[in-house]
Amino acid sequence: MEEQNNSVPVNPAAQPAPAPAQVPAPPAAPGGTGFWLKVVAALYAVSLIAAFSLITKADAAKKAGSKDLKMSKLSSSLRQSKKSAVGVVEIYGAISQGSSSRSWDRGSQQISKRIRSLSADKDVKAIVLDINTPGGSVGSVQEIYSAIKRAKAETKKPFVARFGEVSASGGYYVASACDLVVAHPGTITGSIGVIFSVTNLEGLLKKVGVRSEAIKSGKFKDIGSPMREMTTEEHKLLQGMIDDSYEQFVAAVAEGRKMTVEKTKALADGRIYTGRQALDLGLVDKLGDLQEALDAAGELGGIGKNPRVVRESAPFEQLMSLVDSRLQLLGTKAVADALETGPSLEYRWYGR
Amino acid sequence: MNPINTLEALIDRPETITGPERPAGLGRAGLLGYFSGTLGLFMFLRMQGAVPPGVFSFLSAYLFVLAANFFFAGVIHLFMDLTCAAPSGANGRGRAARLFLAFGCTDYLLALLVPLGFLSGVKVLNGFLWFGLCFLAVIYARVRLIRRLYTVSVNKALLSVWLPYGGIFLLFFAGLVYGMIWLFWLIM
Repeated sequence: MEEQNNSVPVNPAAQPAPAPAQVPAPPAAPGGTGFWLKVVAALYAVSLIAAFSLITKADAAKKAGSKDLKMSKLSSSLRQSKKSAVGVVEIYGAISQGSSSRSWDRGSQQISKRIRSLSADKDVKAIVLDINTPGGSVGSVQEIYSAIKRAKAETKKPFVARFGEVSASGGYYVASACDLVVAHPGTITGSIGVIFSVTNLEGLLKKVGVRSEAIKSGKFKDIGSPMREMTTEEHKLLQGMIDDSYEQFVAAVAEGRKMTVEKTKALADGRIYTGRQALDLGLVDKLGDLQEALDAAGELGGIGKNPRVVRESAPFEQLMSLVDSRLQLLGTKAVADALETGPSLEYRWYGR
Repeated sequence: MNPINTLEALIDRPETITGPERPAGLGRAGLLGYFSGTLGLFMFLRMQGAVPPGVFSFLSAYLFVLAANFFFAGVIHLFMDLTCAAPSGANGRGRAARLFLAFGCTDYLLALLVPLGFLSGVKVLNGFLWFGLCFLAVIYARVRLIRRLYTVSVNKALLSVWLPYGGIFLLFFAGLVYGMIWLFWLIM
């Protein structure tokens, strides 16, 4: 590289400056640069020693503090293993099946998977379901319900349901499988029942000149179609389905809450209750917040109050869920929901 | 040669750094400069509780500083060579090593961070501000040094000092953009 530099013609301005003549060093004046450098070096050494002793003292104080904290923790719960924890599964928003290819979705498949994974974890002694949902489709609600029942049967771990703002219909169905239900006094709950709603677009389509025709193998094949009015026969058939699903719901609540079917049916006319009303009626066990639910779960799990909390969610899934929710703000989810006109059988409260 | 004497010679007679021979004791003074600069920075950050304690923590920081400055000196010398900036004094052979050691001498300024850490502890200016001032002082010293070692303008010297930092930032930014595009592709 040096040779190349020498071979190219360089302009005079870039010519190497002549080497400065090596002038003999002037005798060091007393109190010159050397003296000040020594002073600075000495001050540096002093400040280093001071900083070192300060940091050592601070570290020692921190260590002593953490030791005290550990001792108090140990004395407060001698039985509690260091690793024992309470698992938390969040059930937020309307419950639906969810896409199996999107592991970060909050569908019933993913929630059931989280319940299975937490119940299989030997360090998790109890599970809290943090519920804030108006319910959802019958199939997906029952998927979560059966995941809880199976986990309880296999592992004998206690489950505690905690209600947030709303835990109605399907949300309550899921909670009925739990050993304890904790709600805020103002939580909206209840709405025990089933709904199957169909939008009749016939009049609108007629106005814009659209006519739909269905060629079917049986007379009920297009039952629930929004393109025409429902027949009395279809209505009867659907009512039968609704009644059957309703019986399943009532049976689940009666079993979970240890009530008679008659008493449950008296409460299950679809009405909603506040948390306090639900407590009086025996649909809820306790009023309180998430911390109360965690404490109760800790005590049921034998690890005492204020337990360590494990939230079963991988960091990647959390990130993807966050990105997905940000993209939903662009309106893609709203458009998809608006286009979803198909009827479905639901344990859901539509007041929200 | 005592590092203090070497520093004294460099301050009083800066032209010695451009001489045909490397100034006596520059290697020791440069490495000691890196050591005391890193120690100063490390103690400052420890006082702020921003770095983990321990000898290994300091040694890894020291090795990182040495590696980064070795890379910086190499990149700056390459930049000067590519832009035909002539080295002052004798030929440019070994000038990158000399630049690396001379940069070590500028790192002595970071030793100031120890007393400044105490000042920030008693709320005389923010710690980040003190660090920024020291960093600027080091950059200024390095620009002066480059102007001694190569016959270049202040702007070019400034550009060459910031160039490696800019390159690293650009790489980081490109990685970030690529990561975001990959994430969007993944979810769409």
